[in-house]
Amino acid sequence: MATAAVPAGPPKKGRSKGMSERRLAALMVSPSMILIGIVAAYPIGYAVWLSLHEYSVRVAGLSRWAGLKNYTTALGDSEFWSAVKVTFIFTGGSVFFETLLGLAMAMAMHAAFKGQGLLRTVVLVPWAVLTVVTAIMWQTIFEPSLGFVNSLLGAVGLPNDTVWLGESPEALIVMIIADVWKTAPFMALLLLAGLQVIPNEIYEAAKVDGATAWQRFVRITLPLLKPALLVALIFRTLDALRIFDLPFVLTKGANGTTTLSLISYETFQTNRILGLGSALAILTFIIVMIVSFVYIRFVGGNIRGMAEE
Amino acid sequence: MGIKSLLALMGACALFAAGCGSDDKSSGGDGGSADTGQTKGAKAIDPASMDSAKGAVTYCAGKDTSGDLVKGIEDFNKANPELKAKLLEFPESADEQRNQFIQRQRAKSGDCDGFEADVVWTAEFASQKWLLDMTPYVEKRKAEFVPSTLSSVEYEDKIWGIPRVSDAGLLYYRSDKFSEVPATWQEVYKEAAAGKGIVYQGASYEGLTVNFLELAFAAGGKIISDDGKKPEIDSPENLKALQFMVDGIKSGAAPKAVTTYMEEEARRTFESGRADFMRQWPYAYSLGNKTGSKTKGKFKVAPYPEFEGGGKAAILGGHNVVISTYSKNPGGMLKLADYLTSPEIMKSNAVEFSKTPVIAETYADPAVQKALPFANELKAAVEQAKSRPVSPVYTQISQAIYKNVNGALSGQMEPAAALKKASGDMEKALATF
Repeated sequence: MATAAVPAGPPKKGRSKGMSERRLAALMVSPSMILIGIVAAYPIGYAVWLSLHEYSVRVAGLSRWAGLKNYTTALGDSEFWSAVKVTFIFTGGSVFFETLLGLAMAMAMHAAFKGQGLLRTVVLVPWAVLTVVTAIMWQTIFEPSLGFVNSLLGAVGLPNDTVWLGESPEALIVMIIADVWKTAPFMALLLLAGLQVIPNEIYEAAKVDGATAWQRFVRITLPLLKPALLVALIFRTLDALRIFDLPFVLTKGANGTTTLSLISYETFQTNRILGLGSALAILTFIIVMIVSFVYIRFVGGNIRGMAEE
Repeated sequence: MGIKSLLALMGACALFAAGCGSDDKSSGGDGGSADTGQTKGAKAIDPASMDSAKGAVTYCAGKDTSGDLVKGIEDFNKANPELKAKLLEFPESADEQRNQFIQRQRAKSGDCDGFEADVVWTAEFASQKWLLDMTPYVEKRKAEFVPSTLSSVEYEDKIWGIPRVSDAGLLYYRSDKFSEVPATWQEVYKEAAAGKGIVYQGASYEGLTVNFLELAFAAGGKIISDDGKKPEIDSPENLKALQFMVDGIKSGAAPKAVTTYMEEEARRTFESGRADFMRQWPYAYSLGNKTGSKTKGKFKVAPYPEFEGGGKAAILGGHNVVISTYSKNPGGMLKLADYLTSPEIMKSNAVEFSKTPVIAETYADPAVQKALPFANELKAAVEQAKSRPVSPVYTQISQAIYKNVNGALSGQMEPAAALKKASGDMEKALATF
């Protein structure tokens, strides 16, 4: 009995110690939890609260409970759906091209050669440029009468009277080009990190087996790069879905460039329709959540798959 | 990263709105249709309060690019040692100034005793009870001002500010090519199509609303009903004006790129000699005569011509001094406003800074006539200028105009369809709770 009581002691002691440790942990974590609560949860909760009300733009301080009316208004509005369409076309177009370009840049930067450090720095310059500055720069490049693009088209005898930012879908294309230019280096950087963890021995073994450069790229580089690629894709997709500054500076949303963020801003800030504006922001948030959820499942599955191999 | 920054963004949005959350009482009433008497119970200024005023005063205005406010306030401080006035500058863009104003008023901030308000903000700000009723003060000076400028501070039969600077568009033309301006807009466009064209502000923003309204009003059109409740934009007169603008681009009278032009793009095109005519505010006059400009001494300005089958119309621009409900020193602010809008300052603003006067007799002053050789044309333009639609939801009404007019100009919509859509958008705007 006595011998039995002895081993019973430590677990009991251990459990009570565990309890207090857990309490201690909770206590120690609580400041950051409170901070997260204040910084993240409260504003989201407040935005949800706003989206369930109507605040009068006519009479000072007048408001009323609206339930889901703001959401049904938004979902029944053709402008919301056109903003969804524009946002997804922009996201699809820009992420696709910056991935291709970023991959090419990463491969080039990965190759060992003289001046590698300099190249890596230079390539990153567009990423460091502010989006607003990027937008103004591309606005100048596509300026119809004095801009570089129309001058070039004219020089080679092509029609050079396109008003790039005044036509649809040209305006959206300019927006995509500006975004690709700016963020392809970011893509390249993430992919370069992915490339650098692929062991060189695999390539050497493949070479010994007589694999061509293309085969090595398709069979070795791409599959092993997949996790890095998907992480990069998530970052860029979620960023692109929230695009605001490019259309704000380039067109103010004219000619089919009104994105979800722009329409939320205009409703909430410019027109002071707080309820509907918040509902639009929440809907944008939900769309971004769904997309990231799909991605994360995708990545998760992939990582599990790799571990099993 | 993506989600986090989104959260941060939304957090900022929500926090920004928090200022107004505290006093929002759920009334559940109808409210939305109550269009009259929104300003009932607004506090009025006491004109006598400026006599014994002392202490600090802050005037908030958009970036003072011409320097008249900085100098005006400096001189005021010298003349009034018992008061200390300060200028707080907001961003240059009108939209940003409005944002700044709204944020401060929502937070009931007393930072700004007075604001330099755009003429189109009066109805919105007054109905939010953000402004002091200035009727008792302005009533006494009514005879001094050009009547059109006073109409920009009126809402619900009260006066909410003091006009400080006016503005009205003018037709700039190359006097080396044309001895005088044609009598109608139609002829102007014909000359433009044969020559180097006309430029104006056709981008999707407030400026296009003004440009469209000038032609629409001249053609005899209206925007909203007199009681401010129904859109009347979808009319044959407005269609005529819009069709005229669209045809102008098709015929080459105006370059296609005009659909992306704001003031500065139009000015640069005209100054580089790539256009024969320009619809522009007066500020471009002195710039166009600077050394280095290709148009130096080669252009003149005129009030707008007639619209065939209609009349003449201009749209009023400019700024008014308004006093915040939350000002802790309304008396001091009124004293500053009284100084800044006095005939003497009006004159020196016109002479030294090319500011369009709001006081009628300033235009006749010899010094003003010398500094602004087009003073008579300018006065005629200001006098005939009409106000933009007066409504607490003016921004939305203006969006309904400029977005759809821009759509028609860039060929994405037929003019008739654009006006129909504008009417629908306006109906939605007018129904906003």
